[in-house]
Amino acid sequence: MTALQAPTELRPTSLEEVGRGPAHVSRRRGPVKPGARASASASGLIWLLPALAVLAVFVYWPLIQNILFSFLKWNIYSGEQTFVGGDNYVALAEDPIFWKALGNNVWYAVISVVFQVFGALVLAAIVESVRRERWRKALRAIYFIPSAISLTVAGLLFYFVYQPQTGLLNVFFDNLGLGQLSQAWLGHESTAIFAIIAMSQWQGFGYSVLLFSVALQRIPQELYEAAQIDGIGPVRRFFDVSLPLVREMTGLMMIVTISGAFQVFNEVMVMTSGGPNNSSQVLGTWLYHAGFVTNDFGSAAAIGVAIFVITLLLAAAQLAYSRKKRVEW
Amino acid sequence: MNPTRATTVIAATGILALALTACSAGGGSADITAKPDFSGSLSILTAGAGDPMAPYFEGIVKDYQAEHPDLKITLAQETDDNAIKDKEKVLIGSQSLPDVYFTYAGNWGENFAVNGLAVDLSKQIAPGTEWGDSFGTAALDAFRYEGKYYGVPFYNDAKFMGYNKRIFSELGLEVPSTFDELISDCSTIKSAGEVPIAFGNKDGWPGLHYLGQLVAYNVPRDTIDADLAPTTAKYDDPGYAKAMEQFQQLVTECTGDGSNSNGVTYTTAQQQQATGKAAMYYQELIEFDSVNTSDSQLNQDGFGIFQLPAAEGAQGDPGTLQGAPEGYMINAKSKNAPVALDFLKFLTNQKNATILSSPPYGQPSAVKGVVTEKVASPAVAEGAKLVDEAESSFAWLDMANVPEVADSWVAVSEGLVSGSLTPKAALAAVRAAAEKAK
Repeated sequence: MTALQAPTELRPTSLEEVGRGPAHVSRRRGPVKPGARASASASGLIWLLPALAVLAVFVYWPLIQNILFSFLKWNIYSGEQTFVGGDNYVALAEDPIFWKALGNNVWYAVISVVFQVFGALVLAAIVESVRRERWRKALRAIYFIPSAISLTVAGLLFYFVYQPQTGLLNVFFDNLGLGQLSQAWLGHESTAIFAIIAMSQWQGFGYSVLLFSVALQRIPQELYEAAQIDGIGPVRRFFDVSLPLVREMTGLMMIVTISGAFQVFNEVMVMTSGGPNNSSQVLGTWLYHAGFVTNDFGSAAAIGVAIFVITLLLAAAQLAYSRKKRVEW
Repeated sequence: MNPTRATTVIAATGILALALTACSAGGGSADITAKPDFSGSLSILTAGAGDPMAPYFEGIVKDYQAEHPDLKITLAQETDDNAIKDKEKVLIGSQSLPDVYFTYAGNWGENFAVNGLAVDLSKQIAPGTEWGDSFGTAALDAFRYEGKYYGVPFYNDAKFMGYNKRIFSELGLEVPSTFDELISDCSTIKSAGEVPIAFGNKDGWPGLHYLGQLVAYNVPRDTIDADLAPTTAKYDDPGYAKAMEQFQQLVTECTGDGSNSNGVTYTTAQQQQATGKAAMYYQELIEFDSVNTSDSQLNQDGFGIFQLPAAEGAQGDPGTLQGAPEGYMINAKSKNAPVALDFLKFLTNQKNATILSSPPYGQPSAVKGVVTEKVASPAVAEGAKLVDEAESSFAWLDMANVPEVADSWVAVSEGLVSGSLTPKAALAAVRAAAEKAK
C-alpha cells in the first residue's frame, strides 16, 4: 500500500515551510531595485564580518594548519619539524589499531542507528499513541532523563554498573541464575567497546525519542483517523502513515547519529581509555593517544584529517538527502 | 551535522599544533646564579593534587610566602600520571612551562633536559656540592642526563608487596623468599577463602609494574639497557617471555579477579587491602600511608612489606628493586630561576623533608637521613631502608622506555591479564614497537 497523501493545499512547498508548520503563510515581497539590493548585500556583509573572522581564526585556520601538520614529523620538546610528505598517512594505513578504531566507530554507528533511530522511532510512536496527554508527557520526560546526564558522569556511572564483582549487571545475572554470563565487561577485548556503546545508547536514546515524538505530533491527526476508518490496525498505521511521514526526520537522525558515532571520545576515555590492549580505541581516542601519549603529533594530525574527511562526507550526504527528501502531504 | 562539533577534535589538535610551531629548539637562557628577586613572581606545577599531597604543597607555599611577602606565587597542582603528563605537554606547546615543574626520572625527564627545557643544576646539586650532598647519589643520578644534573629529587619511590600480617599469621605463612613460594602461599590463602593479591589493571600500569620487576629479575641488565634504546633494541632474550609467563601465572593463581582484572581500578584493589579483604597488594612506597591509614582494618591487622620475590635461577638481577625518585626541574626560560632555585632548596630543607615523610603524607623524602621510624610510619621507614640497601634499581618500564615502546608495554600488560596475548605474541608486539621507534 502506498503512503496516504494529504490534500494538495496542505503541502508545504519548501523545507523552511515545513519547519514553520502547515498553518504558516509566507509573506511575498514586492520587486526590489538592483542597486538597492547590492547596497543591502554590502551592508549585510559588514555585519557578517566579525563572525566570519572568528570562524576563520578559530575554526578554518586551525583546520588548514592541521592538514599541513599532517605532513610533518616534529619533536614537541625541541620544536624541531621535518617535512615527511605522506609518511604519516602511509603509517596510518599500515597501523592495525587505526583500522581497529575505525571499525569500532563503524560498530558505534551501526548499533546507534538501530537503537537511536529505528528503536527510538518505534518507542516514540508507542508513546504518542498513549491516550492521555499527562502520561505521554511523563513518558517523554522519563525517557529523556538519561540524556540530561553528562556523558562523563554516565561513563563513570556505568563503570560501576560493569564492575566484575559488585557491578549491578553481574549481580543481576547472578540473581537470575545466569552467573556464567558475568564477566568484566570493560576488562575484556571482546566486550569493552560494546559495553561502552550500550551505555551510549542508554544515554542518547531518550533524546532521539523526544525528537521523533515532535515529528510524529506534526502529522495531521485526520490521516490517522482516515486510516482507522479504513480499518487499519495500529502496527500497519505505524508503517503506512507514521513511517513515511517522518522519513525526513529519520534521514536527518541517521546522518546526525552516524556523524556523532565518528566523533565519539568522552565515554571511551572515561570508561576504558581505549583499552584493554587498544581493543576499544575509536578514532578520537587514537588521535589523542598519538598526540599526547606517544608524542607523535604528525600522526595525530593525520588521524584528525581522516576524521574530518569522514564527517565531511557524511555532512555532504546529509545535505544531499535533505534536499531530495521533502515532506509531502 | 553541527560544524562546531565536527571540527572540535581537529581544531584542538590544530591549536596545539599552532602553539607547537612557536616552540624553538635550543637551550634556555635562565641565569641561575643571579641574585634572587623576591619582589617578582614564581609559578609552580606539582603532581600533588588531591589527598594527601595537595595540602602539603599549599602549606609549603604559605610558609615560603611568609618569608617573602612581596613574591607573587602561583601554585598549580595536577594528579600524578596522565593528568600531569598531558598538562606538561600542553604547557610545552604553548611555551608556558612554569618556573618550577614536576618530572619523572628516565625518558620523561630526559626529554626536558636534552631539549633545553630544564636548567642545568650541576653546579648547585651534583654530588660533592653542599646541597647535592644532602641527597643520596642514586637519587641525584636518576636525573643525570648527558653527564649533567637537571632534577631535584623530591621523594624516593619503589614497588613492594604489602601484606596483611593477621592473614599470614592465621594461615601460618612466612614472607615468601622465592616466586614459587609466593605462588604456593597464594594457593593456601585462596583455599582459606581469602583473596591472595588485590589487583586492578584498568589503567594498564599496575600490571606493567609487575612486568618491570619480573623483567629485571629474568633478563640480564646489560641486555635490558641495550633494549631500552630503540637503535640497539632486539628483545630476543628468553627472559622477557619468562617474565611474562610468571606474570600470567601470578594473575591467574594469585589475584581475586584473575583475567577480569582489567575491569578493576587500582584504587579498588587498594581498598580491598585497606579493608582487610585481601592478603597482599603490590604497591608503591608512596602509597603505604594512604592504604595503611590509622583507622583502617589493615592497620589493626598489621601491615608488612616485602620485595616481590624472584624465581630461583632467574637470569637477571634478583637484587634489583623497581622504582625511581620523582622530582622537580627549573624552566630553562624562567625569568625567576634564582627564586625557583631558592624555593626548591626551601622545599627540600630538613624541616619540610621531615613533614613530607611523616603521616599523613608518607612520601619518603630523597633527603638523606630524614626517613626514620621517629618521623615516618614503620612501613615507610622500612621501605626507605630497603631502597637504600637495594643492590641496584630499575626504573618503571613506562618511564625507562621511549613513549612508543612504553605504550606497547602498557597494552601487552592488559593483553596478558585478559589472556588474549601469549607471552610470545606480547613480546612480538613490544619488539614491533621498538622497531617502529628506530
